[in-house]
Amino acid sequence: MFEPIKVSLESLNLVTLAPMLAAVAGGLLILVIDLINGKLHKSFYVMLTMLILFIDLGATLGLTLNERGFFNVMLEDGVAIVSQLLIIVASMLFTPLALTSKRFHEYSYPEFFALFLFMVAGFQFMVASDNLILVFVGLETASLSLYTLIALHNRSNSYEAAVKYFTMGALAAGFFAMGSAVLYALTGTIELAQAAEVLASRIDNNALVLTVLGSSVLLMVAMAFKLSLFPFHTWAPDVYEGASAPLAGYMAIVPKIAAFAVSIRIFGMYIDLGVEWVREMILLLAVVTMTIANLMALVQEDVKRMLAYSSISHAGFIMAALALDTTEGAAGIFLYYALFMFTNLGAFAMLWISRHKVRRFNARFDHPYEKFAGLIHIMPMGAVIMALFMLSLAGVPPFSVFWGKIYIMQAAVNAGLVWLAIVMGLNSAISAYYYLKLIVYMFLKEPVKDVDTVYYNLSKPLMAVIGLAAVATVGAVFYVEPLISYVYFMISASGY
Amino acid sequence: MIGLSHYLIVSAVLFSIGLIGVLRRRNLLMLFFATEVMLNAVNIAFAAISHFYGDLTGQMFAFFVIAIAASEVAVGLGILIVLYKKHGSLDLDNLASMRG
Repeated sequence: MFEPIKVSLESLNLVTLAPMLAAVAGGLLILVIDLINGKLHKSFYVMLTMLILFIDLGATLGLTLNERGFFNVMLEDGVAIVSQLLIIVASMLFTPLALTSKRFHEYSYPEFFALFLFMVAGFQFMVASDNLILVFVGLETASLSLYTLIALHNRSNSYEAAVKYFTMGALAAGFFAMGSAVLYALTGTIELAQAAEVLASRIDNNALVLTVLGSSVLLMVAMAFKLSLFPFHTWAPDVYEGASAPLAGYMAIVPKIAAFAVSIRIFGMYIDLGVEWVREMILLLAVVTMTIANLMALVQEDVKRMLAYSSISHAGFIMAALALDTTEGAAGIFLYYALFMFTNLGAFAMLWISRHKVRRFNARFDHPYEKFAGLIHIMPMGAVIMALFMLSLAGVPPFSVFWGKIYIMQAAVNAGLVWLAIVMGLNSAISAYYYLKLIVYMFLKEPVKDVDTVYYNLSKPLMAVIGLAAVATVGAVFYVEPLISYVYFMISASGY
Repeated sequence: MIGLSHYLIVSAVLFSIGLIGVLRRRNLLMLFFATEVMLNAVNIAFAAISHFYGDLTGQMFAFFVIAIAASEVAVGLGILIVLYKKHGSLDLDNLASMRG
């Protein structure tokens, strides 16, 4: 009855899949090695994960621009390649943080590294497609692995964090699927490029206005959960508090880069179609998010929670660039994350080296401000590096995040939104208060307790990661020019 | 005659029931059920629209949604089991220790 379907291997264009295949195969390899010999030390798995990530990076760098593959499902355009590079580099900074001098529960399982690689593959699938099925599957692969990674930290806090994140993630999945269903009902396709063409021909039909708005609202709620935008940000500080410090730093960067890449594709389509409402909604969400999160960060007693709110505020700042719908704005998103990545992971790694098994300063918090009081007397180098990360996060020139901020503000002015640039500037000024508060504690206060073990968790690999992050933060002025031109070229080549 | 709009209305009503369930339920197990209701509402919509257009993409999406819902249950129940072992309760009001 049916003709057998013949698919030639060339038409699949498997090269576009190579980066994800490397990560998935690597994760399976780790599971198999664990089956054969279950007694290997975690440092072996860390090195293996780094090796696999290097292969992944090489495969990503070897991709040709704007290539489609696998029945046109994969789309390796500039946005996909840049965000994959950022995801892999952030993962390579995260992995060595497992090599602490003290033993932690999650790293004794090889499954941690396998799940980690599956998560990286999930994020890569999510950014490298404009087919909503693959975006959805990638999103869920990554999220489900991430919930498990959080719960593996094995504290009652981290279970609660995993459950909270899981509930919010399941809700976001429901909204995303429903939004895709409405878009499918509107256009009869779930590939964004085709959907844009069909919608463009139907957009003048007044009966469809409500449906167009409905699909954009559902998708925006889903993305707002993933990007932790107000009013869907409430889970984020709790999850960051419950997760281990490196994972919290990782969560502030990689899932958001992936969600931003998807947002550029989806909401860029709506804005290009002239649905002005979407742009206004994004601007409103962005401004409210950065302001509320900044105000909440002012009253936090714990440095990790403060950094959680600060990363929400940074996400709001970057969301505003999405609404500009200029190439400069889209490039600004990735530039900001490329610069923010090192500083943020460095700051969370500094929390990680001072992590104790028991909470020595506070019944609830691991890293209250008092812990860092007088740090300059105890570990001068640590205090200086932490201060450097804080100044960079506050946007003090010439450190890295300053360049991201100034680039996005300039893009806002060029797009004719001067008031937006002013709001951004005011928010940076507010945020300086809580970053400087930590610096005041470290440099001007006396130690509250005998903190002889503040170096507690330090080891050579952690020092290397922090050193690298510090160099990237300080030396931003030397590499920011080529970085801007590279990102700008990649984004403009993919037509955003 | 039952048409596309009837199915879409059922789907929208189910989705709203699921959403209200997520917002109102205090028991985590019931809350997870509510998210499953939401995903299944989406499946109805996809199957109906797919039939309306005579296009198989929607049914394909529905199958992926089913697979993802199943894996969500697997991971979610795993986390709930460790949580129950630690706390002996699945009530949200008793569990939350992190606020602010």
